[in-house]
Amino acid sequence: MKVFAKYVTRKSRGGIAQRDDLFDCQAIRIGRGTSCEVELSDPRILLEQARITVRSGDIYIEALSGGSVAVNGTLVQTAKVVELDVLEIGPFQVIIEPRENDSDVTLSIELLNPLGDELDNIKANAVMNIGIVGTSKRMWSWTLFAVVITALLIWPMAVSLFTPPPAINLQSGITYDIEPMPTSVWTSGGISSAHKFFGESCEACHERPFVPVQDSSCTTCHQTIEHHADPIRFTSASFEDFTCQNCHKEHQGDESIARNDQGFCVDCHGSLRDKEPGSTLRNVSDFGTDHPDLYPSVVVNASLHSISRAVSMSSIPGPRESSGLSFPHADHLRDAGVRHPRLGIIQLDCRSCHVPDEGGVSMLPISFERHCHQCHKLTFDTQLPGREMLHEEPEELFQQISDIYDSAALRGGYTEPEAPPVIRRRPGTPLSEEDRRVARDWAEEKTGAILNGRFGRGQCEECHTIFNDAQVGVWIVEPVQITEQWFPKSVFDHASHSDVGCTTCHDVNNSTNSTDVLMPKIETCQACHGGEGASDRVPSTCITCHQFHNDDLGPMKATQEEAAATLHRGLTVIQPNSLPKLAEVIE
Amino acid sequence: MHESLLIYRNMRYLKWSLALVAIACGLYIFHTPIEEPNGGTWLGYTLGTIAAGIMFWLSWYGARKRSYGGATGRLEDWASAHVYLGLALVFISTLHSGFQYGLNIHTLLYVLMMIVVISGVFGLYFYMRFPRLLAENRRGLTTDMMLNQIADLDRDLRKHALSLGDESAHIVLNAVQNTRIGGNISRQLSGKDVDCPTSAARRFVEQFEGGHDESTRRQLVTRLTKKEDLLGRVRKDIKLRCLLQIWLFVHVPFTFATLAALIAHVIVVFYYW
Repeated sequence: MKVFAKYVTRKSRGGIAQRDDLFDCQAIRIGRGTSCEVELSDPRILLEQARITVRSGDIYIEALSGGSVAVNGTLVQTAKVVELDVLEIGPFQVIIEPRENDSDVTLSIELLNPLGDELDNIKANAVMNIGIVGTSKRMWSWTLFAVVITALLIWPMAVSLFTPPPAINLQSGITYDIEPMPTSVWTSGGISSAHKFFGESCEACHERPFVPVQDSSCTTCHQTIEHHADPIRFTSASFEDFTCQNCHKEHQGDESIARNDQGFCVDCHGSLRDKEPGSTLRNVSDFGTDHPDLYPSVVVNASLHSISRAVSMSSIPGPRESSGLSFPHADHLRDAGVRHPRLGIIQLDCRSCHVPDEGGVSMLPISFERHCHQCHKLTFDTQLPGREMLHEEPEELFQQISDIYDSAALRGGYTEPEAPPVIRRRPGTPLSEEDRRVARDWAEEKTGAILNGRFGRGQCEECHTIFNDAQVGVWIVEPVQITEQWFPKSVFDHASHSDVGCTTCHDVNNSTNSTDVLMPKIETCQACHGGEGASDRVPSTCITCHQFHNDDLGPMKATQEEAAATLHRGLTVIQPNSLPKLAEVIE
Repeated sequence: MHESLLIYRNMRYLKWSLALVAIACGLYIFHTPIEEPNGGTWLGYTLGTIAAGIMFWLSWYGARKRSYGGATGRLEDWASAHVYLGLALVFISTLHSGFQYGLNIHTLLYVLMMIVVISGVFGLYFYMRFPRLLAENRRGLTTDMMLNQIADLDRDLRKHALSLGDESAHIVLNAVQNTRIGGNISRQLSGKDVDCPTSAARRFVEQFEGGHDESTRRQLVTRLTKKEDLLGRVRKDIKLRCLLQIWLFVHVPFTFATLAALIAHVIVVFYYW
């Protein structure tokens, strides 16, 4: 079809400008797009807003793409139009003119509503940009930066620099009232239980800024921490280049900061025989599967204070103790009981003699007075029923007995039928010179008879080893030495095993000889305890029984003077200073 | 652009980041320090150094995207790497922390960093999804064109209002003059106006009976409905554009807070070594 379009523009001073266009097309598309036959350059117009078609001589208008088209003031979707109808397409007015120039359709197109006040009004009521709401990102950014760096770095640092640290020294007294400091927000984790009481005072350990915690901070309190092994004999165990912090990691929460992992020990002790050939310790890698037999420290010669740990509990024959004492456990624990001089037949059990110390860790020493004396009275003469031989001072015994009979001879009144009359006389009767001689001879003879007889030497021999001293010409009692620590390199807490019967570990009922060592074998322990990774036993690491810092080896973190002194003493640092530590190791 | 950000260069930066995370995880699993894993072991220091480097580099993206000349690398590389390294940072810094958290500046740094990363993930989602939603909503128009159409409708409405009774004319003119678009953040984000005068006028005119001729009423209803539709689209347009920007109001300021906490973290760790 042929279209004649007239674009009308009204000038501001009056008058009309017109641009004509004559073209052929199938349908007239009206829109902003350049492909439209009638191009209306206005932002309010869609790319294709309307279409005009001619069918059978009739003209139709159709709204496209949701655009609005009004015919004579009425919004329409599709409508038939006739000449002189006025179409409103957005701000444009399109009039169907009477046909000109031999066209099928003639249109006059005019922009009636240029962009104007309504748009300004809408824009005045519109806030569409986030940037003009509130403040800028930059302002927020720098504000937050300043707040964080001031509150978390500058302020705590300033306070810590100008606050003198409280003195924390267990040796000279503890300061309890430590004010919380703003630096507590710097903590990298909870303080271990033992250090919590001064945990608020960072400077107690972190003494100087930008310097790692020094060992001297630790030894302020831990002055007695000693070496792991003799640092001179076993150089690989000197830990010379280690700081306390290398092993003891603080700020890991409530747990102890002592290492408890098996691997740390096994690293050396798994192949200790290769690493330190001079050591008598055996290799160990896991308590449950690879731990040496138990080697008790046994007294092998009480007179010489000799202790040996050469024989293990699993050896056959096992270790034999020679304590200078004879005590058959089985005789005292028999089911028929034992005779008590006052109470009659009584039943003894382990706790009758073995009493735990107050902490429940180990057993108090056995004492004759407390544990034996009730039954084992040291009477020696039926004529002197209240008198007993001295027990604690055997060297005084001979003098005591002699004094007793000298006294009886002088006083008289000793009614034994075999005694001479002068001895049996009424006390207080004066003595002649001959009587004195007889009395002195009797006293001497009686003293010897008692001491060497059934009630003297014989009675001592029930429990003690007696031998004749050729030099002095009398018998003497071998000194007694009972083992106090069977396993001095380990720690065993009886209290935590109190639910286990004594005989589970100590086979006392079958012990008829006091040389029996009634300690358990390793298998007994392993019945309940496994290694670190055990799933069917109590998981137990080395530290469960052994400690890392051993006694009597000198301070590990010594001052220079102490270190020099230790070095000067050399091996003396491992010499025993009290029994029954390893006085003499007999292999 | 938004799709190519994730699959850019055949996902090179995703692969790099995955490799980094995999190496870090592997080392973490086989690393058995004396104490619980934490930032103070050799692996902790290593991961911390890497994480700090990544954080500074990610922050530098804000400056890089503003410099058009003389900058190294294409901005697409930077954007793609920014996304993937930012996500990798979550893993690296978590392993650096050894899963140890508490009430202290170290955990604060972690929280601030997570806020930045999570806001970034939101931003990434917005950038991937909203351009399509915006286009669908605009249906070929720009925001200005929609406003122009509303202005035209307003003009018509005002013209028609002249022939109405006093009450009707007032309500219609109120719709013309007092319809607000956008506003404060919550209004922009809501994407609608429950007290919109245009909606009120449309409801009033719909129920209005008698007094005026039916065709005028229909014309008013048609124009008010059309304006309501346009307003709805403009408001949704504003909401989407607001969301496209608002995550940056979290992302950027918290990046600065994170950098401050990072500086404090590093200084403090060595101040109390």
